[in-house]
Parts: sequence; C-alpha cells; structure tokens
Amino acid sequence: MTSKKIILTGSFGVGKTSLFNQFIFSKFSDKYLTTIGVKVNKKTLNIREHQVNLLVWDIAGEVSQDKVPTSYFLGASGIIYVFDLTRPLTYKGLVTDIDYLKQLLPGGVIKIVGNKKDLLNESELNEILGHVDLPVNITTSAKTGENVEQLFIDLATELI
Amino acid sequence: MSNTNHPIMDEALLDRLKEILLKDDRQELAEIKKILESRQHLSEKVSPIIEEHLSLLKENFSTEYEETINKLIEVKLENSQEQILDTIYPALGTMIKKYVTLQLETLKESIDGTVKNTLSFTAIRRKFKSVFTGVDESDLILSNVRSANMEEIFLIERNSGILLGTASIKKTIDQDVIAGMLTAIKSFVEDAFKRESLELEMIEYGGYKILIQTFYSYYIAAAVDGTLTTLEKQNILQSMHDFASKEIPNIPKPLSNENELISSKLKDYFIKGNTIASTKY
Ligand SMILES: Nc1nc2c(ncn2[C@@H]2O[C@H](COP(=O)(O)OP(=O)(O)OP(=O)(O)O)[C@@H](O)[C@H]2O)c(=O)[nH]1
Ligand SMILES: [Mg+2]
Repeated sequence: MTSKKIILTGSFGVGKTSLFNQFIFSKFSDKYLTTIGVKVNKKTLNIREHQVNLLVWDIAGEVSQDKVPTSYFLGASGIIYVFDLTRPLTYKGLVTDIDYLKQLLPGGVIKIVGNKKDLLNESELNEILGHVDLPVNITTSAKTGENVEQLFIDLATELI
Repeated sequence: MSNTNHPIMDEALLDRLKEILLKDDRQELAEIKKILESRQHLSEKVSPIIEEHLSLLKENFSTEYEETINKLIEVKLENSQEQILDTIYPALGTMIKKYVTLQLETLKESIDGTVKNTLSFTAIRRKFKSVFTGVDESDLILSNVRSANMEEIFLIERNSGILLGTASIKKTIDQDVIAGMLTAIKSFVEDAFKRESLELEMIEYGGYKILIQTFYSYYIAAAVDGTLTTLEKQNILQSMHDFASKEIPNIPKPLSNENELISSKLKDYFIKGNTIASTKY
C-alpha cells in the first residue's frame, strides 16, 4: 500500500478543518475552533485496484501562503488549497499563493477548492466563480458533505 | 468676554435675574450632580438602559451585522498584522505548550489503548499513572518503582512523516498517524523556535518519553515508558546511531513505506534485545 502526504491549506476560517473532519470522520460542526499547529489523520481510499493511504495534514490558516512554515510542505504529494466562496479576501491572493506553492512543491498536485457552497445558490456560485482568477477544481460543502469525498478521490487518482 | 463696554449692572439684580431664569435648570442640575456623585444611584439609573440595549442587540444581531463585522475584522487583520503579531507573540509560548501537550495526550492514548485490556502488572501501573496524571508527586513516587520500557520504535521519513518501519511490544493502532503527528509536532516546534540547525530530540509527557534522532532523510523515534537514567538515554541514542550506520545501508533504496525488512530489523534491534533492560540499574 502506498502512503501519500496531503496538505490542507488556505486562509483562516475557510473550512480546512471542517473538510478534514467531514472526510475522515463524516462529521461537521458549526463551531469555529481555529487550528493551532497541525493535526494529522489518515484515510485509506480504494482507487480501482490500488489502495492509497492518504495522510492528511490540517494546518493553521494563514492570510498568505508564504507565512506557512515551509517544513509542513516538505515531502507532500498533494496540496489542497481551500478558499471560502463567500469571502472574497480568501481568494484575493490566489495567483500569488498558487505560484508560491508550485515553486515550493514542483511536480506536486495542487487542487483549488471553493468551500461553503451550501451558502450560495447556483447563480451566485457561478457569478463568484467568474471572479476567481484561476480555474477552480471543485466546489465543496464541508457542511453537507457535497463533493468532499470526491475531492480526495480526484486527488488520489492523480497521485497513483 | 470683556465687559468693559457694558453698562454697569447691579450685581444683586443680576443674580436675582439669573435665579428666576435658570431656576428649573438649576434644580435639574443639582439632581444630576447628586446622581453622578453617588455610584449607586448612577448604576440604578443607567443599568436598565444598558441592559435593554444589550438584549435588543442580542435579538437583532442578524447575519447582516455579522457580515459587516466580519469584513471589518478582515480589513483590520490585513492592515495591522504587525500589531497583532506583537500581541500574539507573548501568548504563543503558552499556546505551543498547550498544543504539544494536547497532541501528546492523544498520542499517549493511542499507545495506551493497546494495553488497556491486558491485566498485567504494566497495565495496573498504567492505570495508576493515568489516575495520577498531572500530579508531580505521584510521578515521583512511581518513578521509584518502575524501570524504563521500550514500548515502540519508529523509523519515519523525515519530510513527509510517512512511516517506513515500526516495531512494538504489542501491536498498536494507527502507527502511521502517530508517525505523521510526531513529524508535525517536530516541524511545529522546530519552526516555532526558528532553530533550523537544532532538531527536537526528546518529547516528555507524563511518564512517557519519546527520544528522537534525526538523520538526513529519516528519523528514528523511540517511545519509552518509565524513568530513564541519563546512561539509558545515551544507550538508546547510541543504538539509534548504530542502527542508522549498520542496518540502514543494507536495506534496498529508496526506502518504501511500511517496509517489512525495516520493521523486522527494528524489532531485532530494539524490542527483542531490549536495549533498556540490558542496562537496567
Ligand atoms: N455553511 C458552511 N460553513 C462551513 C463550511 N465549512 C466550514 N464552515 C464553518 O466555517 C467556520 C470555520 O471552519 P474551520 O473548518 O474551522 O476553518 P479552518 O480553515 O480550519 O480555519 P483555521 O483553522 O483557523 O485556519 C466554522 O464555523 C465552520 O462550521 C461549509 O462548507 N459550509
Ligand atoms: Mg482549522
């Protein structure tokens, strides 16, 4: 079985921990408890004939990615960059952040994720996606669970 | 204002006039003064008003307000990061301590979990320990009666925290999560103290010690239960170095995760031979 290190990153309060908890424990809470440091957990996914052990690192949010300790990204195979669809400030620095992450993890897979889609209707969602400077890989709701598992399956599929 | 050009007035007349004109105002003024002078009075008058406003605010704190406040906070955060950092830094030390303690607690729980059902002397001792956790004296008392035990040994990829091999007295759960968490704690502590050349060498929690030796692309961590003498500690660290220089070179590269060969060698080296027991005082 192969193990892959995945980092959940992005600004604070965008729902990294919520995605982590939804993916690993199928749980969601409305309470906001900001992450201090890192939390690691794992989930094994079956992708076709492969078994992939995803070791997911949920880290503390930062307004810009160059504030995140670089050691967290070392040895990672994939990065999930989460922003909050309802807070423009959380995707304002997207281009700079993604450039920075690409240079930090050459060859790594980066997924750009718009979270909290449950707070928007379809036309609002489309309008917001039009304002985001880079293509968004997937939009999720950690609250309803929509697309959460799919996000990790997509990522794992690219990693094997 | 100068009054040199004013017609001279009878002082008494002026006073009288003032009194008539301002009589009501003066009375009110005196009352206000009285209220202000006595805190008791003041709070009696003001509290209900404040209370009323507060409950009004509570009821009507709609999402509208929330959004505005959120925006304000974001702007404030963006504009005053330096200031915020200055405020947060002194508290950071405590936060790190809290965080590390918390994570270690989780770590310890999963290690403990494996022996929970075993009614052995060790298990009973652990029970005692968990009852007394946090009480220094009990740790001291217990430390006199117990010797150190190598519980578990890990070989972990340094950057990713991916488990390369492990051996333990009893099969424990989720060793790869423990490996990841250990690596995260290590990165966090090393980063927080900005000592790039220094590596975290030991984590202590209650009666547990985790000894860490970092090599170039991997590190070895040993979970030890019980009190270690300096000599014992040095012995373990030495064994780790020996393992790295004698055993690792014979293992095919690149080292794959959860490598059976590494695990069995770790077992031979650290668990079967029990480095600590052989040097027991
Ligand atoms: N409606 C809705 N709320 C969400 C969603 N995801 C997260 N939240 C809420 O947003 C808040 C922040 O979520 P967290 O998961 O703690 O955010 P985070 O990115 O981990 O934040 P930091 O740890 O501070 O970086 C919490 O109150 C969550 O309940 C979502 O998909 N929909
Ligand atoms: Mg979080």
